[in-house]
Amino acid sequence: MLFALLLLMWEFGSRLSPALQSYLPPVSRIFRSLAELVISGQLVSHLMITLSRFLQGYLLAASIAVILGIVLGYFRLAHSLFEAVIEFLRPMPSVAIIPVAVLLLGIGDAMIVAVTVYASVWPVLINTMDGVRHLERTLIDTGRTFALNRRKILWLVVLPAAAPYIVTGLRISLSIALILVTTAEMIAGSRGLGFFILDQERSMNSSNMYAGVILVSALGYVLNRLFVLGEGWAMQWRRGMLAQESV
Amino acid sequence: MRASKLNGLLFFLGLLIVWELVAQARLINPLVVPPLSRILGVFSDLVWSGQIPLQVASSMKRAAAGYIMAAVVFIPLGILMGLSQSVYRLFEVIVEMLRPVPPPVMIPVAMLFFGLEDEMKIFVIFFSCAWPILLNTLDGTRNVDRVLLNTARTFGLSRWKIIWNIILPAASPQIVTGLKVSLPITLILVVISEMVGSTDGIGYFILDSQRRFRVAQMYAGMLTLAILGYALNQFFNVLYRLLMPWHVGLMRMKDAA
Repeated sequence: MLFALLLLMWEFGSRLSPALQSYLPPVSRIFRSLAELVISGQLVSHLMITLSRFLQGYLLAASIAVILGIVLGYFRLAHSLFEAVIEFLRPMPSVAIIPVAVLLLGIGDAMIVAVTVYASVWPVLINTMDGVRHLERTLIDTGRTFALNRRKILWLVVLPAAAPYIVTGLRISLSIALILVTTAEMIAGSRGLGFFILDQERSMNSSNMYAGVILVSALGYVLNRLFVLGEGWAMQWRRGMLAQESV
Repeated sequence: MRASKLNGLLFFLGLLIVWELVAQARLINPLVVPPLSRILGVFSDLVWSGQIPLQVASSMKRAAAGYIMAAVVFIPLGILMGLSQSVYRLFEVIVEMLRPVPPPVMIPVAMLFFGLEDEMKIFVIFFSCAWPILLNTLDGTRNVDRVLLNTARTFGLSRWKIIWNIILPAASPQIVTGLKVSLPITLILVVISEMVGSTDGIGYFILDSQRRFRVAQMYAGMLTLAILGYALNQFFNVLYRLLMPWHVGLMRMKDAA
């Protein structure tokens, strides 16, 4: 109710006051811009660029982080060696890496993907590590007793036990990856939704800017929904297990 | 010190020495990765000349303003939404609509309204801290033990007293979590907003150094940020122990149980 009321106030307030219009164009106009930009294909191409950078960065980060997390969680020595390095790098806001990436890789896709990978690695890495470390030793010992080899222990014991932690990490990284892609596009990009939004702001096309904001948010929302769906599908076995335990 | 921790520190130190040697031997382009000693030299020069403290101060001023404003607005709102179903329904749609907006995307919007001034950054920080604080407070309030509430009502406590004496302490673990999660978010958003539109602050300083190819200075800025992030976290923990000592004990009891 309040939401509908606010929208109405926005629409009419903005229509009545020309001064307000340049900051806050009527809602109807924003959606018209959105429709026009989508139909003309202009926004779609920016969206595709952002999406492909996001997917590359996120998937790369996820694979690196899960593998590294298992190694660091499983082998005590590896963990004790890298603990200090991780503790030092982690508190630094990941966006600070953007200038370094620009220096190393110039401005372009590679830089944006690299930055996204760097930032989204952390949650997955830390969670996977924790998951593997909190694994009950009895499970591994039981696996050994049944003469499972290393690889089988990894696939049948370690991964399933750490899976809930890994999923949590993956979920946190999802929004971080989108944040980093858009940020990098704003700071050093010439294409993509982040660039588009900032560019429209600078040229005072506020309704186009809002259209971009809506599209990015929708993208974030859809990605999140897809993740939840995928999680439900991939973790079915676990729900069954939990249900059994509670019986 | 634990042996494994010592190992880690030694390994870290070893990496730093390798960095120094590789850079000194010019195996990698010194324009991209200068030797560590030079970075540390530049860092200490900048600290003593007051340049870095100045930038940190202007960043922290913005960070504190946005963070505190978010706490002041969204903790009470979260409690209200948790207590009253009608307040919850009133704000539910707005929250659901605004929450998926990635915070950096709000920077251009804020620039439209506030220009490049401090208000822009404060608003962006305020906006991005809103969700962790609001949703955690809401959750905490909802999960307050019903028996506690009913007992308080039986004793005829006023609404205000119930909120102050029952709900706030009972929901505090989650409120603290929300505040803690917001801390790194604040730092990230200060840096981003200063990179996108600012003339000072540590985020601006780092990006500006890169654009002028003062690479050692850029790394010094990053080092400052890492220290800052660490210090903020420690500061939060100290404050928490000072202000809520009863709470620390409570959590320890729960852990032990």
